[in-house]
Amino acid sequence: MLQIDHLYKSYGKFQAVSNLTLHIPQGDLFGFVGPNGAGKTTTIRMVCGLLLPDRGNIAINGMDALTQRKEIKKQIGYVPDFFGVYDNLKVREYMDFYGSMYRMGSREIERVSDDLLELVNLSDKKEAYVDTLSRGMKQRLCVARALIHNPALLVLDEPNSGLDPRARVEMKELLQNLRSMGKTIVISSHILSELSEMCNSIGIMNHGNLVAAGRIEDVMEGVFGNNQLIVTLEEGRETAMRVVNEHAGIKVDSVGEHELRLSHNMTKQEIAKLIGTMIAEGVVVTGFHKQEGDLETLFMRVTAG
Amino acid sequence: MYLNPIVKKDVKVQSRSMKICWGVFAYELILALVFFLAMTVIQGNSRYSTGNIYSAMVWLYPILAVTQLVILGILVPIRTASSISGEKERQTFDIMMTTSMSPFSVIMGKVMTAVVQSMFYVVASMPIMALPFIIGGMSWAYLFLFLGIALLVAFFSASIGILCSSLCKKSVGAVNMSYVFYLIFFLGTVIPPVVYSVIHDNMRYNLGYVPQVYETFGPNVYLSLLLNPAVYLIEYFTGIMAGESLIKNGFYDINAISTKGPIKLAASGNWWMILSTVLFIGVSLLFLWIASRRIDPIKGRRKKR
Repeated sequence: MLQIDHLYKSYGKFQAVSNLTLHIPQGDLFGFVGPNGAGKTTTIRMVCGLLLPDRGNIAINGMDALTQRKEIKKQIGYVPDFFGVYDNLKVREYMDFYGSMYRMGSREIERVSDDLLELVNLSDKKEAYVDTLSRGMKQRLCVARALIHNPALLVLDEPNSGLDPRARVEMKELLQNLRSMGKTIVISSHILSELSEMCNSIGIMNHGNLVAAGRIEDVMEGVFGNNQLIVTLEEGRETAMRVVNEHAGIKVDSVGEHELRLSHNMTKQEIAKLIGTMIAEGVVVTGFHKQEGDLETLFMRVTAG
Repeated sequence: MYLNPIVKKDVKVQSRSMKICWGVFAYELILALVFFLAMTVIQGNSRYSTGNIYSAMVWLYPILAVTQLVILGILVPIRTASSISGEKERQTFDIMMTTSMSPFSVIMGKVMTAVVQSMFYVVASMPIMALPFIIGGMSWAYLFLFLGIALLVAFFSASIGILCSSLCKKSVGAVNMSYVFYLIFFLGTVIPPVVYSVIHDNMRYNLGYVPQVYETFGPNVYLSLLLNPAVYLIEYFTGIMAGESLIKNGFYDINAISTKGPIKLAASGNWWMILSTVLFIGVSLLFLWIASRRIDPIKGRRKKR
């Protein structure tokens, strides 16, 4: 769907994006993560045709974004981070205005607008003036507007900034809904917990470079590894340590009062055997689980330094 | 019929505002004041002349027409100079650029909105403008000619405004720059003939002769006046009111037998008005093209590797 190859962009001496290569398959909900100035918005603006790259290629559905701009514009729906409004324009007229910018007929606009306003839960606001809507409503209207021409790719730049918790949940549900309809969505955000809940793939940018990208679970595994075991116990810490030390291929990372953190290369059966041995030796094991990484930890780790 | 969506939206939005009502009111008020002032002068003069007051009413035509053209010339750049920068300030510009509308269509939409609004004012003034035609006995064709010239003035002023709007980030700067452009057209175009005359006179008095080449081809510098709005209007109104031509009768150099070159053609028949009109339209289109290039986010060549 979206293929970015060796993309570069600089502002004077500042390298905003450097050698960015990324592929986002059809139907993905892709989260773009990175600290301020990492190059997310620059990348998004280049994808949307609002900024000329210094080097590299962007292709959407196989079409070159720089040479086939007319066709590309029909493929993209863009939601900026700030929702600008026109005074004295009603919701229906707002949709009509953007529909006619894509040269859609008035009947088609009316039909599509009705469907989209229902999708974003704004059907009852059709005759309301846009500047009277709440920020969350405006943002949902902006998504509806971006979908008026039925684009294959929806690009959202910080859509949740400034939204209250309810509006954020509504936006998340809306995006998940759109994904289930087969839309490919690229979303940049600082709110990592939300991205981890709704996105199936992510790209982490830092200093203009893409430091990690792919399915969330693959990225997590790549960064955290899949080999940390946490054993919680009530009694018998010393015995547990002895059992662990008797097993080859296990390293103790840390020891707490009721917790052991172990690095290992054991199979599931070997883990079960280890826990069984501990219990047989009189250790009171209350639980054990694999270390699960979260997006925030992942983000902090890959953007460190 | 396809109507530029920007014109449709802008006219709708602005007509809902009270600004347009107050604008038309102020416009009519100024015209009414000029009308009563002119009537007072006409009445005063009629006491000392043998002609009747009704035939003197024809002078209301140039007085009211020039008043309107001056108002349009002042107001239209203010409207258009803030149009692109206004979209940027509202942060709706980026969204506009991601739609299927080309930058030139966006520019044309803004210009046509300004022209349409100017015509609101001009059409609203028709009852007052009709007086010299009804009472003074002028040909109705001149009324339509006035409408044509008002359109040209609105289009030309709007193109200057939109160019400045694309060059400046702030609306205020764009408005100021528009008036600098006016200065260039009103005063800058006078400089070549003035320089020519000064050199001509200096040579005559200091050398005692003027070189033949200078005498023959030098008057062609008067062609710069083809782009002088004041000369254009004076030429038009002296032609209608007095049956004379500023170009033919006002400048000896142009009409000297020894003069050769394109100025001779421009000064013959109605060519001055025709050429001047074509040039104003051409310059306006050039400004629009430059403005559309300026706002195009993906313009120019990409940097080489």
